[in-house]
Amino acid sequence: MSTARDQIFSSVRAALAPLPERTARPVFSKDVAEPHWLATEADSLTLFQKRAEATGTKCFTDMESCAAWLRSQGVRTVYIPAPLTRLAALCSEFCEVTSNYTRARVNEIDAAFTPAAGAIAESGSIILSDESTPDRLAALAPWHHIALVSRAEIHRTIADALAAMPDDPNLIWVTGPSKTADVEGILIQGVHGPGAQACLIV
Amino acid sequence: MAEQKVELFARRLDRGVQQAVHSNSAAGTEKRYTVLGKDYSAPDDLRRLAGQIRQHAIEHLDTYLEQAEQSLKRQGAHVHYAVTAEDACRAVSDILQKAGAKKVVKSKSMISEEIHLNDHLGSVGIESVETDLGEYIIQIDGDHPSHIVKPIIHKNRRDIAKSFEREGLGDYNDDPETITRRARVFMRDKYLQADAGITGANFVSAETGRLVLVTNEGNSRFCLAAPKIHIALVGIEKVIPSDAELAVLLNLLGRSATGQQLTVYTEFINGPARTDRPSGPQEMHVIFVDNQRSQILASDCREILRCIRCGACLNVCPVYRQASGHAYRSVYPGPVGAVLSPLLAGKNFKQLADLPKASSLCGACNEVCPVDIPIPDLLLKLRNRGHEEHAPSPGTPPMGAFAKLASSPMLWRFAMKSNKVMNLVPLEKLPLPYLQPWLKTRTLPEWRGGEFRSWMKDRRKK
Repeated sequence: MSTARDQIFSSVRAALAPLPERTARPVFSKDVAEPHWLATEADSLTLFQKRAEATGTKCFTDMESCAAWLRSQGVRTVYIPAPLTRLAALCSEFCEVTSNYTRARVNEIDAAFTPAAGAIAESGSIILSDESTPDRLAALAPWHHIALVSRAEIHRTIADALAAMPDDPNLIWVTGPSKTADVEGILIQGVHGPGAQACLIV
Repeated sequence: MAEQKVELFARRLDRGVQQAVHSNSAAGTEKRYTVLGKDYSAPDDLRRLAGQIRQHAIEHLDTYLEQAEQSLKRQGAHVHYAVTAEDACRAVSDILQKAGAKKVVKSKSMISEEIHLNDHLGSVGIESVETDLGEYIIQIDGDHPSHIVKPIIHKNRRDIAKSFEREGLGDYNDDPETITRRARVFMRDKYLQADAGITGANFVSAETGRLVLVTNEGNSRFCLAAPKIHIALVGIEKVIPSDAELAVLLNLLGRSATGQQLTVYTEFINGPARTDRPSGPQEMHVIFVDNQRSQILASDCREILRCIRCGACLNVCPVYRQASGHAYRSVYPGPVGAVLSPLLAGKNFKQLADLPKASSLCGACNEVCPVDIPIPDLLLKLRNRGHEEHAPSPGTPPMGAFAKLASSPMLWRFAMKSNKVMNLVPLEKLPLPYLQPWLKTRTLPEWRGGEFRSWMKDRRKK
């Protein structure tokens, strides 16, 4: 192996060798970092909706109201993956619907639906994986992103979600729309990612 | 008399900048306090636990670093090591040149600042664009970040509007929303054209090899969505035992940094694209950088390696609030920087040995630290080291006379009694420059020297 590796490992070992004892790995219960209000909260679906709305993620529980929202937002081109035919029919009433997400159209497609790999009630986060959302750009580049969250896949806590992470090259927890406060601490939404984040609970 | 460099900088700092840094920092401290108090009945217990987790991790770095390497390789990532900053820069450009990459997009990474990566890439003809809004503005201005989390805390919207106009991103417009939209449009093309994306890592899980990245803007996600090569620069101290520890660390990081339960994007990267998961970069390289960290691990200041770069100690620090980040003359400002920067300077320790003195040792930095780093203790250790290595110490009042006095019991006794004459001297008229600013806002109590000694003597007799 490389000499840089050997050098670093030997310096690290030399640094640690004189320690009379090393700090033991702390043992803690899985719920140690749960907010104290979590215990008195309702079912995970209601909690997820409440927390998601608090971080700026809009929640819909039926396709009609979700489509109506996109219409009111003046969406012109929406990406909807092939199997979601009913949704596509609803959206085609007011905008172009495509089931093909290509780089050439990154700046044209202004709304996209992608299936989520789950959600977290405690933080109101949506979980996306490469398996659920095969094109990372589709969930990121459009101004409106709507994740399809299955009720059965809502984890109650952050710790639960961490313990159940699937084997996937990329998992991302999305907690609200893309934002910055870099300019004078003023909050602006939609920096690089979606300016409007939503989820449709199915 | 010479002044401390940090103090001098603060005195000369533009009042508008100072006000902006002060109010933005104070707001950060307030938000952190509110959110932690709302969510936890004993946030300090959680901070101490996180501190133990990090201390355990760095004290077992030999084991965990090796384990992380194996896990990363198992996932299909290439693992590299860099002893120095120069080595790290070269490792990045070697990978890029081998792949024929000319254009790079970067998400915010403190270690890339530390090794001056952009300068290096520029010198070998590779375009590297910072994609975090604040970091991009820093880059086009040829400036340096003045805060770990809020790099342009020292700039106002008018400064930024002028920079954007100069760079051809549109006519002068200082509306923050317009500034942000223009950056969005500009970055889109950069992402899509880039051959490689460079990121840092907030944590690396040894057990699973997962790299964790937290951002709010979504830029790191973009750096891993469009380009075909991903290079992650990671300080060797970033390794943690397993994913389970993230439940504690992530819950504290967001709340401490920006008052958020979680940042908008929390990303877990586990290797390059696979045949059945083709969306991400085809190649993934992780470069573990030492750059003095193993020396810090060997020192009596190793606790500073627990740091998770939240910036809470900057926000709360009365000196940082007055002086702003550039006063620290290094990549890491504030209390953490006052410890870390002189240590990272290695052989050039003496050049930054004044930083640990730019503190009143009030201890607020330790009280807000999500990993409970005893910063004031470390500052004292470094002050001592500076003294032992005869580092220049501007601003320290001459203590020679006091040392003589305090080491002779006879002289001391005499001085205690005779100093009563001080009660008759108008102190504000004494030509002692280091005393006068102090006396402007304070009055000395009446001198009653020697009374304790008499009391002690009488007590013994009884």
